[in-house]
Amino acid sequence: MLFRRIGTRNRRKVHDYFVALCRSDPQTEPDDAEPPPLRTGTPWDETAEVVREAISELRRRIADLERSRTAAELRSRRAAERESRMRKVFAAIADPILVIDDYDELLLANRGAEELFGFETDKAECKALARLVRCEQLVALLTSTRRRKFPANRSEELELSDAAGGKRWYRATAIKFADGEGEDQPSGGAVAVLQEVDDRKALQKRNAEFVSSVSHEMKTPLAGIKAYVELLADGEAEDEETREEFLNVINGQADRLQRLVDNMLNMARIEAGVVNVSKRPSSLNEILDEAFRVVQPSAEAKEIKLEQQLSTMYLGVLADHDMLLQAAINLLSNAVKYTSGGGSVTLRSRLADDQALFEVEDSGVGLSEEDAARVFEKFYRVKKDKQMASGTGLGLPLAKHIVEDVHGGRLTVESELGKGSTFIVALPCAAKMRGEGRGARGEGRG
Amino acid sequence: MTKRVLLCDDEIHILRAAEYKLKKAGYDVSIAGDGLEAWEEIQRQRPDVLITDCQMPRLDGLGLVKKVREEAALADLPIFMLTAKGFELSHDELSEKWNVCEVIAKPFSPRELLQKVNAVLEGEPMQV
Repeated sequence: MLFRRIGTRNRRKVHDYFVALCRSDPQTEPDDAEPPPLRTGTPWDETAEVVREAISELRRRIADLERSRTAAELRSRRAAERESRMRKVFAAIADPILVIDDYDELLLANRGAEELFGFETDKAECKALARLVRCEQLVALLTSTRRRKFPANRSEELELSDAAGGKRWYRATAIKFADGEGEDQPSGGAVAVLQEVDDRKALQKRNAEFVSSVSHEMKTPLAGIKAYVELLADGEAEDEETREEFLNVINGQADRLQRLVDNMLNMARIEAGVVNVSKRPSSLNEILDEAFRVVQPSAEAKEIKLEQQLSTMYLGVLADHDMLLQAAINLLSNAVKYTSGGGSVTLRSRLADDQALFEVEDSGVGLSEEDAARVFEKFYRVKKDKQMASGTGLGLPLAKHIVEDVHGGRLTVESELGKGSTFIVALPCAAKMRGEGRGARGEGRG
Repeated sequence: MTKRVLLCDDEIHILRAAEYKLKKAGYDVSIAGDGLEAWEEIQRQRPDVLITDCQMPRLDGLGLVKKVREEAALADLPIFMLTAKGFELSHDELSEKWNVCEVIAKPFSPRELLQKVNAVLEGEPMQV
């Protein structure tokens, strides 16, 4: 209608104008295109304006869409980068991670989990968690966490067998996550992170064993003290000699208890570096003789031949008397503990290459090569000999600390399984050798 | 007839304290330093009561109890177990599976031990 009114010639011009408009740079406003040379005041003016506006609007929309597309592409690229980064991070985490969906099927697993459970997520035909993970406890933890109404951490310690068949302890922490945003959306699944706690578990076990053996070691002398006090209180001892005997037992058991407490305290002090050492020039033989007399009653009770063959030389050492005495007692009582009745324990001392040596030799059970290498470890007790005597696994490590860290000496062991052990202590000599008396090699004291 | 009590412990002072109390009460007491010695003594002469420590060299208390219960003739021998152990020992298992009269924790009272021995030998319910 409009075109009919504007005439054939003008129609051509209008046509050319619109074609020019449409082919022009989309960034150019239609107003910039030269309008056809028409007479004004015709219906064309109004129409041309409407068309121009429509084209402007279309161009704006196109430009908006273009911007949106560019932004979407950017977002998509960033999302892909983020996902790639997340996958790399996920794969790099050493702790095994398992993610399940709302149907208890495996959604994701990192390499740690795949190696631990021996499957490949992409190749697994059946994704049911219970089929892939052969640990009922872990499956139950994950699936029950997923079914929970509200997200909350749940942790359990569990023992898992790896693909090689080795068993290790893990702490599995599971948490539920939601995919949907609305409350009516179904939950998305649950994720479990497994952290290996084998070392901590072993330490806990050793600590528990230590506490148990310390309580056993304390209760045994306490049992003696309590029993004899009761016998005395009940008037069971009818004569002075018996009373004296009972009191001696009480005294001996109290000393035993004190030695145990001293061992523990000194070990803790040395380890914490707060030990108060007071070293003075001392006679090694005097300290050894004192230790010998402390251990003598327990050797006699077991009918073990306890002998001392001390050097006739004065062996001067710079020593903390109480600590070195404790080390010597620990070595001697260890020998008595692990030697059967009828066996022998010999305490020797001598001078060798400007070092004062003492050794405790026994005819006891002896140590395997492996046990000899570990016998100075704190709390370590030779498994096969645990029944032979009670103990805390502190005596030998403490003796080593005292000899080596406090006195700058050296404590070693030579042993043969079934034939006995010799613990050898080498200490630096403190002063010029002086004769200690009566022996042929002695040079007279003082 | 004098009743026989067999005491088994590797701690000599514990043996002596219990032995002293029981002997004064009129029992015939024999002592053993570990499970194997006790087993030899049981085979030599059956005691009326066995009191044994738990942790001992060569043969421990539980090993001794198992050996005793494997012998039909000793199935009803009253056994008391002394122990300084803590949580590792299952008291229920000892009483239900091995028919141990009572697990007595160290430190223990010789007076109470005597009362328990008296009660079990007189067939009375133990009340301490």
